This record gives sequence, structure tokens and C-alpha cells, in this order.
Amino acid sequence: MARLIHWAAALATALLVVALAQPALAAKTVLNVGMAAIDAGRLDPHLSATTPDKALFNWMFNGLVRMKQGTMNPDPALMEGDLAESWKSSPDGKQWTFNLRKGVQCHHGYGEFTADDVVYSLARSADPKRSAFSSDFKDFDKVEAVDKYTVRITLKNQVPSLLGLLINYQGGNMVCKKAAEEMGEKFTQKPIGTGPFMFGEYKSKESVTLLANPQYFRGKPKLEKIVYRYILSDASRDLAFTSGEIDLTYGKQDQTWVDRMKKEKDTIVDVFDPGELSVLYLNVEKPPLNDIRVRQAIAHAIDRNQIWQFKGKDTARPAQSIVPIGYLGHSADVPLLPHDPEKAKALLKEAGYPNGLTIKIIHTNLPGMLSMMEVTQAQLRKVGITLDMEVVEHATYHANIRKDMSPIVHYSAARFPVADVYLTQFYHSRSIVGTPTAVTNFSHCNDADAEIDAARVEPDVAKQKALWKTAQQKLMAKVCGIPVYEQPQIWARRATLDFGFPLKGSLSLGPVVDENTRFTQ
Amino acid sequence: MLGYVLKRLLLAIPTLFAVLSIVFVLARVLPGDPAQTILGDQASQEALTAMRHRLGVDKPIGAQYVDFLVNAVRGDWGNSLVTGKPVVEEVRKVLPYTIDLTVTAIVLGAFIGIPLGVWSALRRNTWVDYVARVGSLLGLSFPAFVSAILLLLAFAIQLRWFPVISAGSLDDPVERLRSLALPAINLGIIMAAYVTRVTRSSMLEVLGEDYIRTARAKGVPTRAVIWRHAFRNGLIPVVTVVGLYLGILIGNSVLTEIVFNRPGLGKLMVSALNQRDYTVLQGMMVVYAFAIVLVNLLTDLTYGFIDPRVKRQ
Repeated sequence: MARLIHWAAALATALLVVALAQPALAAKTVLNVGMAAIDAGRLDPHLSATTPDKALFNWMFNGLVRMKQGTMNPDPALMEGDLAESWKSSPDGKQWTFNLRKGVQCHHGYGEFTADDVVYSLARSADPKRSAFSSDFKDFDKVEAVDKYTVRITLKNQVPSLLGLLINYQGGNMVCKKAAEEMGEKFTQKPIGTGPFMFGEYKSKESVTLLANPQYFRGKPKLEKIVYRYILSDASRDLAFTSGEIDLTYGKQDQTWVDRMKKEKDTIVDVFDPGELSVLYLNVEKPPLNDIRVRQAIAHAIDRNQIWQFKGKDTARPAQSIVPIGYLGHSADVPLLPHDPEKAKALLKEAGYPNGLTIKIIHTNLPGMLSMMEVTQAQLRKVGITLDMEVVEHATYHANIRKDMSPIVHYSAARFPVADVYLTQFYHSRSIVGTPTAVTNFSHCNDADAEIDAARVEPDVAKQKALWKTAQQKLMAKVCGIPVYEQPQIWARRATLDFGFPLKGSLSLGPVVDENTRFTQ
Repeated sequence: MLGYVLKRLLLAIPTLFAVLSIVFVLARVLPGDPAQTILGDQASQEALTAMRHRLGVDKPIGAQYVDFLVNAVRGDWGNSLVTGKPVVEEVRKVLPYTIDLTVTAIVLGAFIGIPLGVWSALRRNTWVDYVARVGSLLGLSFPAFVSAILLLLAFAIQLRWFPVISAGSLDDPVERLRSLALPAINLGIIMAAYVTRVTRSSMLEVLGEDYIRTARAKGVPTRAVIWRHAFRNGLIPVVTVVGLYLGILIGNSVLTEIVFNRPGLGKLMVSALNQRDYTVLQGMMVVYAFAIVLVNLLTDLTYGFIDPRVKRQ
């Protein structure tokens, strides 16, 4: 026994000595980021569209053009040059010429970035075998290198949001040809672009380290290194922020979290666009939802303000339309059915359900989404609708809703901020789930196909907006989807971390970090 | 002896095969699509189909199974569907972290639990016994993630002795120990609780035996009665529990790894399951099944050392 106690004492002393031997504090040129994910996906900007990966791509890649840093306005007039210095289009808008910057270097010595890289990169983005975003480029006829620094894009028809496809986002991210060809499948293990930060190291289930690109064409970044850590547990991410191990952390879309973080010393909470729009998609073909009165009853039963209060003032806003607020083409002039339980009951009675009805649905177990659905469930119960909810794990939910297994689908998403993208993916007949061209049309609505298609190629901006407005009005009149609330992106950072620009919006859904980002102390 | 060990290891092969087949089928029966996980929710059907083909998950399940078995026998466990890296490499990278954690937790649990259990049995129904019993009950009923957060709050936030992100480099011994300490204590406490209770009850039983009374009657010193006569006989159930505990440790290590942000097999398994990374899942199951077979074997061999009668049989 005495010996055991000696052993225990020795062990305790050893641990204490180890504990006191703290490593020196990291110099403030290293940015430690905490992301709510368990691991990286395939680190190829043309393949992965998951939120944790997109933030990284944003720091590593350039497009031909870009939105002003920290904003997400899709207006072509506000676009800045990125890899391209200037551009012009032919009078019919079908031919675009881009003049590239000279002397831009690919990461890790892969040579100068030239017109050949642009041609290669866009061909890669348009190829469904190598890209998840191929359908964005279906109107591209050809992309040619006129000379080393000039690229010409010829379109099959006008694409008014063409510049939006060429920013540093998804298929618009420019990869370096030599690296991609040389590495093939292994490109995901060392993605090569031209951005301010370049790939350093990947540690499985732990972190991705990016290094400053000393040859970055806008100047060497002020930060030396970014360590992007995968910290799944909300509690430990908060603790790591408190202990100073991370400087920038993915927030919880939760009011109590925001209130608490605002009280922390030297902490800034960033709330920025885009808002992720939560919509209840109603399958208009499945009984009892094929009766518009039942769909209207559900819409009237939902109290948007109550859900907004439940979600929190800073972390949500009530939705106005089926296209999120701030998107080019969003219209608030749409028939949004108000909260009116009496009318809901009357409509149900008229539809032949005087005693109410039961609807069986599938829902994900993601806490943020589930809590809103539980509030909805309570609101529907007040008018006599029982939501029989089967709660399943997230990957199962994604698979099953795409097999039409849930007549009501609660889906939350942010997309490229042009109405066309949201309308096409969620309401065009081509996108109906279960079809060979399916994306995420869960409602099976096809009422606005003509407007959506016409708007896409309409060169007159005013006419285009009018078409999008009509589409929203038609789809909302049919109650294809009930928009409920929008949740902006929420991150917290040390007050000493200065992005270098005000962060109002970020298409990548993560904070924008570039060559100007630095610690003030 | 060697023949016995070999026989046991050979007998493990059918077990591994059965485990693998069950995991193979179950993983694929689950709804969910690895291609969708990789490409995200905006991917076109065309891109999804191309990705499924690239991953080889578009083939009939029978064909996939045959391919898998043939490759597995050749030692090729395939590449992770999500990261594209070889499964063997993924497992090999995190294995040292898991071994560090598991072994330290077991050692810690035994070092605290056995003496506490013996002491508590000897002082039955005194305050020592009550404290040990209540303490071990608390240790058992506390969820691992709650105790993990309490440990972090105390030692990482208040005292600042240890990091919150316990993923220190394996090459630096100081870092390695610093990032091991809290997770190991977290699991070690639960382990100690189990061991205390089993040791106590086993000792109480042995201490009531006739041969203990005889030993005392013939004047054997108390220390020898306890440690040579009673403890050695009381140890068999304890060894069994420590062996069985490995399974529980795996379950708890998932939560511990997530809260302490430590790489490890548990976290690898959860992410593989979430992302429908079939190949990694299969590889993990082999490692786990093999570990359990190995620990059972070690447990059986230990019986022989403690009680020579077992060896003779």
C-alpha cells in the first residue's frame, strides 16, 4: 500500500511538472480557427460544396473577378477584378474577353498562372465527372486562350449573371492546370491555387494548416499561418476560445450563445449574410397536400413571429418570400399568408377535415432545425393538424427526402444570391426529386418554369426582375413552399483580429481572411 | 502455450469474417449516399452518378462484397470514400492516440481502483467504505462528456495547466503527455469506479472464506493474509472486468475524443458513420474486433498467471 502511495505521488508530481512546462505563447501571426465539423471533406473546390470546406477554398483560390471583400452583392457593376484585370463583352452579350494579370504565381512553385489555366479550370468545372457544379456551365459554348494573358468565353445564349459564375466560389475557383494534371486524384490532398494562403498540412480529424503565399499578387499576407481546426463539440469550441487556443470560432445560431459571447472580454460577434432560408416544402401531388386548402391551412397556422422570437432577435429574421432577402430578384411583394388559426380551421373544414388530420413526415436530428420544427408542430396542433415526425440522422434524412418519402420537407439553405439559382433548384420542374435531373424540388411545383427560364436569359435587368417577381408570386399563391425564417451566419473573434474590411457578407458562409487580415496586438 | 495462443488467434478469423460481413451489409442498407456527402446538396444528378461510379458504390452489393473480400485478403483495405486516402493510413495515423488513451486509462483505473476496493472491503461499513462506494457510484453514473467538460473548466480554463485542444504532437513527449492527461483522467475515473466496486465485492467474498479464517487462526500476519491469500484469489473477477471494460472504453472514448478534440479511433468511426464512408467503417471494425479478440486472449492468459489451477486445465 505504502509503495502504491509512493507511485501515485510520483505520477502526480510528473504530471504537475509536465503541466507547468507550458509552451511559449504563439506569436500573433498565426490565426487559429475553430470549425464545427469532424473533418475535412474532399479538398477540391470543384467537388465539395460543404460549408466547412468552402471557407477554406475562399482563402486559397481566386476567381477571374470577385465581389468586394466582405460583401455579397451579385450586381455585375460592383464586381472587382481578381485574376482578370479587365473584361468586356460583345454587344449581344455572348462573347466575353478577360485580360489577365501578369506574373501571378501558382502555389508551391507550380509556375505562372496564365490563360491556359483558365481554360483548363473552366473545362474542369463544366465536367460532371470532375465537378459538382457542371450544370452552372451548361450555357458555355467554348473557352479559348487568345494569347497567354487573354481568355475568350463564348456562350450559347446570354447569361446575365455570367460574372457571378467566375468569382472565387464553387466552379469559379481557378485551379492551376499543371498541379491538377500532375496530381490527378491526389489534388484533394494538396489543392493548388493562387490565393493569399496555400495548403500546408492536413491532419486527419484534427486540422488543416494553410501558409501565407509569399508571392501573392496583392502582396504577402500579414498572417503567417492559419490553423483551421475541426472541433465538433460546441462546448469545447467555446472553451478553446475562452482559453485562447482559437481566435475565430464558428458560432451557434442561438440567441443565448450570442448574448453570452457578447459579454466575454475582448470578443466581437460577427453576424453576416447570407441568411439561410428555412422553408417548409409541401408536396403538391401527395394527398392530403394536393388540396390547396390544406396547404393554405398549414400556412395560416404558422406564426412566423413566434418562431422568430423563439430563434432570437440577432440570430434570425422572419422570411418574406421563397427567395431569400438580399438576393438579386428577391421580392417582398408576394402573397405571404398571415398567421390566422381561425381561417386555417375553416379551410380544413372546407377541405373535408373538420376533425383535423395527421401528416407523417421525416425530419433530421440536427438540433437547430429540429427545434424549429417542434415549434411548428405545436402551432399546427392548435388548428387540428398532427405532425407525426419521424426523426432520423442527417444523412438518412437527406437520402429519404430525395426519395419523396416526406410530404413536408423542412430545408434550410443559402445559395448564390441571384433569384435564378434558388428558383431553379427548388421550383423548376427539371429539379423535381426522383427525376434524372433532380436537385431539390421537393414540392413538385412546375408553375413558374416559363418565368424562371425566360428570366435567366433576359438581358434587360428590369424585365428580368419582373419575371422573377411573377415566378415568386405564382409559386407562393400555390403554396409550394412556406418561407419561415432566415438565419444569418454567426462567428465570434478576438477583438484584436482585424479582417481588414467590414464583414457584412460572405458567400463562402465563413469569414473572409485575406492578405490584409492581421492581429492588432 | 504458444500452440494455445496460435489456436486462439486462428479461431479469431471466422469471428472477424462474420463481423466484417455484417458491417458490410448493414452500412450499405442504411439510407444515405457517400456521393452526396462529398459533393454537397447542390450537386447535379449527373455529378452524383459520376461520383458514385468513381467510388464504386454503384455496383450491385454482391459484386462490391466480392471485390472487398478479394482486396482485403490481399491486404488492400481500399481508400476512404470521403478523403480519398488509404484506410490503413487513416487508421495508422490515429491509432497511437487511441492506444495512449486506452492504456493510460486502464492503468490509471487499476492503480486507483484496486487499492481503493481492497481498502474499502477491509473497512467495511466504516466511513472509508461509504466514501469509496458513493464515489464509485458517482464515477459510474457520470456521463463521460459531462465529466470531460468539468475537467476542462477546472484544469484548462481556471488553472490553465492543460490545453483544451488535446491533440498535441506525438513526437514531442511533453506535448504528448500534456494533451493526454485530461482525457486519460476522464476515462480513468470511470475505469477506477468499475474496478473499485468489483474489487470490493470480490474481496469481501474471499475474506469470508474458511481458508482465510484458518490462515488467521494459525497466526499468519494480517498483511500476508490480505495480499497473499485473499487478494490473489480475489483478483480473477477484477481481471475479467478490466478486459471487458475495453468495450465500454471504446464507447466512452468516442465522447472523450470529441470533447477533448483528440484524434482517435472513436472519432474516426463517428465521422465515417456520419459521412457514410463505408471503407473506413469496415477497416475500423476489423481493428476493433481484433482488439477485442486480443484483449480476451490476454485476459485468459492472465488467469493462468494469477491462478496456476487455470493453467493446468
